[in-house]
Amino acid sequence: MVRSALWHLFRTGLAVWVLASVVFLLSYRSLNATTELVLPDTTDLATTTTAVARRAAQQAIRQRLGLDLPLFYIGRNDGNGWHWNGQHNQYHRWAGRLLHGDLGTSFRTGQAVSSQLGTALAYTLPLTGTAAVLAVLGALGLAQRLATRPWWHRAGRGILLGLHALPLFVVALALLLLLANPEMLAWFPTYGLDDAADEQLDATTQFVRYIWHLVLPVAALTLSALPDFTLQLEAALTQELRAGYAITARAKGLSEQGIIRNHVLRNALLPTLTQVAQLLPALVAGAVVVEVVFALPGMGRLLAEAAANRDFPILVGGVLLTGLARLLALLLADLLYLWADPRIRWQS
Amino acid sequence: MGRPSYPLAVLIFSRSWPQRIALGWLSVVLLTAALAPVLPLPYLPNVPDLSQVSQPPFSIGKHWLGTDSQGLDILSQLVFGARTAVALTLPATVMAALLGAIAGGAAGFWLNQSRLAAPYWLLLVACVWWALSLPWPWLVLVGAAAASGCLLAIAKWRQRPLPAWRLPLDSIVMAIATTLDTIPRLILVVAIAAGTSVAIQGMLLLLALTSWPQPARLVRAQMLRVRVLPFVEAARATGFSPGRVWLWHALPHAVQPLRAAFPLSMAGLLGLESTLSFLGIGLPPNVASWGRLLAGIRHDQSAWWIAFFPCLCLITSILSLYILSRHQSSQP
Amino acid sequence: MLLTFGCSKRKHSSDATIRIRWAHDPETLDPLSLHNQAALDAYNLLNISLLQADASTQTLAPALAEALPSVQFLNDSITAIGYRIRSVAAWDSGQPVLASDVDFTLKLMLCPGLPNEVAQSQYHFIRALQVAANDPRRFSFLCRGRSIEYAHTTGDFFILPEAELDPHGSLRHFDLADFQYRRAEIATDSGIQTVVRHYLAAITSQATRQLPGCGAYQLVKWEKDRYITFHRKSHWWADQVRPTPFVLQARPQQLTYAIIPDAATATLALQRGEIDLYPRVPAHEFSRLRASSTAAKTLRFYTSDSHDVATAGFNTRHPILADAQTRRALSQCFDAAGLLRATQLGQGQPTVGLISPNDHLNYNDSIAPLPFVPKSAAALLRQAGWRPSRMGEVMGWTRTPVRGPRQELRLALRYRAGDELFATVALQFQAAAASIDVPVQLLPTESGAFSQALQTGDFDVYLRTLGGNPFMFNFIPILHTAGIGAGNASGYSTPASDQLIEAIAAADSKIRRAQLLRRFQAMMQDQSPMAPLFFLPNRVAASRNLTGIHVNSLKPGYSVMTLAWDSAPQVP
Repeated sequence: MVRSALWHLFRTGLAVWVLASVVFLLSYRSLNATTELVLPDTTDLATTTTAVARRAAQQAIRQRLGLDLPLFYIGRNDGNGWHWNGQHNQYHRWAGRLLHGDLGTSFRTGQAVSSQLGTALAYTLPLTGTAAVLAVLGALGLAQRLATRPWWHRAGRGILLGLHALPLFVVALALLLLLANPEMLAWFPTYGLDDAADEQLDATTQFVRYIWHLVLPVAALTLSALPDFTLQLEAALTQELRAGYAITARAKGLSEQGIIRNHVLRNALLPTLTQVAQLLPALVAGAVVVEVVFALPGMGRLLAEAAANRDFPILVGGVLLTGLARLLALLLADLLYLWADPRIRWQS
Repeated sequence: MGRPSYPLAVLIFSRSWPQRIALGWLSVVLLTAALAPVLPLPYLPNVPDLSQVSQPPFSIGKHWLGTDSQGLDILSQLVFGARTAVALTLPATVMAALLGAIAGGAAGFWLNQSRLAAPYWLLLVACVWWALSLPWPWLVLVGAAAASGCLLAIAKWRQRPLPAWRLPLDSIVMAIATTLDTIPRLILVVAIAAGTSVAIQGMLLLLALTSWPQPARLVRAQMLRVRVLPFVEAARATGFSPGRVWLWHALPHAVQPLRAAFPLSMAGLLGLESTLSFLGIGLPPNVASWGRLLAGIRHDQSAWWIAFFPCLCLITSILSLYILSRHQSSQP
Repeated sequence: MLLTFGCSKRKHSSDATIRIRWAHDPETLDPLSLHNQAALDAYNLLNISLLQADASTQTLAPALAEALPSVQFLNDSITAIGYRIRSVAAWDSGQPVLASDVDFTLKLMLCPGLPNEVAQSQYHFIRALQVAANDPRRFSFLCRGRSIEYAHTTGDFFILPEAELDPHGSLRHFDLADFQYRRAEIATDSGIQTVVRHYLAAITSQATRQLPGCGAYQLVKWEKDRYITFHRKSHWWADQVRPTPFVLQARPQQLTYAIIPDAATATLALQRGEIDLYPRVPAHEFSRLRASSTAAKTLRFYTSDSHDVATAGFNTRHPILADAQTRRALSQCFDAAGLLRATQLGQGQPTVGLISPNDHLNYNDSIAPLPFVPKSAAALLRQAGWRPSRMGEVMGWTRTPVRGPRQELRLALRYRAGDELFATVALQFQAAAASIDVPVQLLPTESGAFSQALQTGDFDVYLRTLGGNPFMFNFIPILHTAGIGAGNASGYSTPASDQLIEAIAAADSKIRRAQLLRRFQAMMQDQSPMAPLFFLPNRVAASRNLTGIHVNSLKPGYSVMTLAWDSAPQVP
């Protein structure tokens, strides 16, 4: 049991490493845009840069960032052959540093990738974590109620589906325009995490303000995640309720609520569990749309901007981080599976 | 799980009112999509009317549903947007669901226990060799094909089974799925859009190829339960080939969770396309789409009609799909 | 109880923080590589250069320098630009700012191991620095070639303190020439390596992320992607300069730049008083706010012209666009006036070229902007040798030159994805071109891929904004042969235009330069390597109580140093 769990983890870890390597090799393969974006835009009449100077500057940037080395142990010539580059290559250096826990430094700011990711994560996790917990709890409650077919179950499902059809940015913008708008209801602040200007506040007030600023973003995320979980779980519950054992339970005179809670829920959770476990990497990766709309710092914006600026060390670091989260999630999902359905034994 | 085929009339009239409305709406969308080029629309979807920017609906002039902040007619955007949804998003969702059902179903059914005979392994190695363009790729490929052909012929002639090795199908499928959804989809798409200049049609194809893991996981989870059910065991015991048991007996039950998931993933894809427009990397402006129209609200937030009409279309379509899918799954 | 936190109104006292919206984080405050306008604005608070733009007169005015520089043409190949640093100018440590600091900064710009490629390519024309023997504050830059524009370009970089960054004087052991020509050899010097290490540690450290400067402000707090706050130094050397020139004013006690990426959110924040100044407001938001009666009670609106011009360019390297007539014909498919009306809602100015119509000396007012007449475009195409004929399935234009294969007129148009202005321009052009049977494919391209496509020439037509200024007219990067591969995306190059551009750069009087510039505008309209559409407006919305905004056409469009709260607040 323990051995198979370890083997499972090792395999996923290997997959994460391969993934990070692939992302590294693919992204570092084309670095023209990186050097291009470090240099100022050529659309300003005040620049005095000629083409020759620009090429020299690009070469200098490559040298400074260590991008003039060959990419991998083996490389391909322009002909069709392969050749050996030796250990003096970018991948070897990257992997070596990674094994020492060094994710490298950002191309753009020169700061350590780990510190940038850490800062962003500290903002992201409370936001996405709260939303995920609320969404899962909400889904558990709602789906159980819906499965008993109360009078409002059609309307409830319709509303949930309508909500699901709306992209996250519409939900976020709608919340913003309804609840933070002086022309409608100005109940919540519009952006950020606290008022940057007022620093001399006691801890309690600061905390309350922080919570106050998080209400709308968390609500937007919860509302967009809730329908998916609820509908999935409700579909599974409905199907299970038609199974033999549920009918037997009903015949025994148990209430519908009781049947669901004590008999059906466990089995119905199975497909939903995969989804919940899937959430963990998404939590780490942040929510770029909500972060943009509510002007919050976080992983989503960090990674999206890194992609736009071709800041590959940050991007590869982000992939590794979500990979690790995935490792954890898989472990969690397997454990939950085992708990939910004893019929399933660990394969392999 | 064969179902008797109903005549058309029964298909329509045997249903409840919500289902009829849903069917009606979806047919309207399909018809609109098919007939969009010949409909008598006063304005083309991709010609901006520079003198009528952000016009509210139902006002004087011929822009019945108003214009957006670029001066594009909303009505014709909606009509041609239906075309885009039917021709682009629907196939992408179907493809993702199919791929997911096959991959997840196979992984859950055979797990890591299926065996592959030696000649096939030989061919596989040769294909990898060729893909990496190691020395003499064609020669190796042809050689491997010839060798495996010979082996098969020999086996048939000798009437003795060839040596076979285990194919870890489940591990392979799950590893690919894990790898794919380790990177959150939005980040993946943003990164790909940043790194390469893929045309957007190619991008939607890519979306389909990256969004199959979720259906695959659902189907696999269900398959794990179905494969040990008595009727599958019975089919196996009858002596049907495993492929046949899988396709005709196990798979139809294993894809049940997809019924509820399909409208949701369709909504997800439509939403993703809209979100991409919101982040500035969506469809080109001459391809009308509901999502892009919806994203236009950020440029002019007071123009409620820019968001209202596409939202209405999106919600109604998703609801209709859902109602119909519920109906099918609740049939005996 | 909680509601009070959301609705708490801010009171405006005279020393309250002024909050300004930015769309992006400045990323670094490294004077050698400032990535964006935000970084430049922020660094301008920490440090000042020899000359600064004066928003009240829209000219360059002496800031760290005592007076505008003297320009001397030593011979045909050397221009000497002479400055003297103000006697009172001092670093925070109390040490005076001297010519040796300028020398040190020039060496840093060339120092191997630092992220200084941008500065290097920008100031490559400075050959040497000559310090006066009798006055440690007086010096001249010796620049390659002849140009009156060196008087501007040499004045706009930031000077760094030698005493604090290189206390042992390690860089003094080497000449500027060593940094220019023997970089590989000096890179191994341990003294230089120490300086580089110190410098990199200072700009990347989580705590400070800044270098010592001689500006009026110091950085108080910087939270990436959230805000950045500056505080006015209580004693700043320029307070002694009387009367205080405009560029040496520093009135706000505390400044906070809030980073809000989304325009809709920023508008709401402005309406609620969560930010006080919102520069570069999008056209639709601006006109909506201006029309709203509630917003009018708390906000004031300002507009001015800018030097940014929306431009379409043609890839002259492609055979179908190699002749001026075809390009001129296609230029006539842009409805500049209609686009100006629709996208800028009446603000902005039509133009004939890349020089602002407000620049009465240099703008060529004797020619008219290209009209929007697709019909005459068709006639021009005919003159260029194109004939209407079948191209595959559809009707189009083809021609067969004397040498070479048959050409089909179909265009791929690239612009930066997500830019609403250019999306509208692209749609309008596509529709107009379709009306004369020219098929146009729209390729909205992600920012990085777009720059790369322009470099490699993977387009037929591009749309982008060119940023100008009223001081410098250097067209070499944009339209000269030497700019192909850098800023000259259209690949335009003819001997006549090259000569004219060089003459403009080397002109030794403003009158002479104006004559040449007028000729240049006429030539560019005739040749049409690019079609300038219109100058974009600059829109600023700010709290009603904020005064001294000085909205102007220079970037960032307002004057931050003169902002102040109205002493008699009108709104509770």
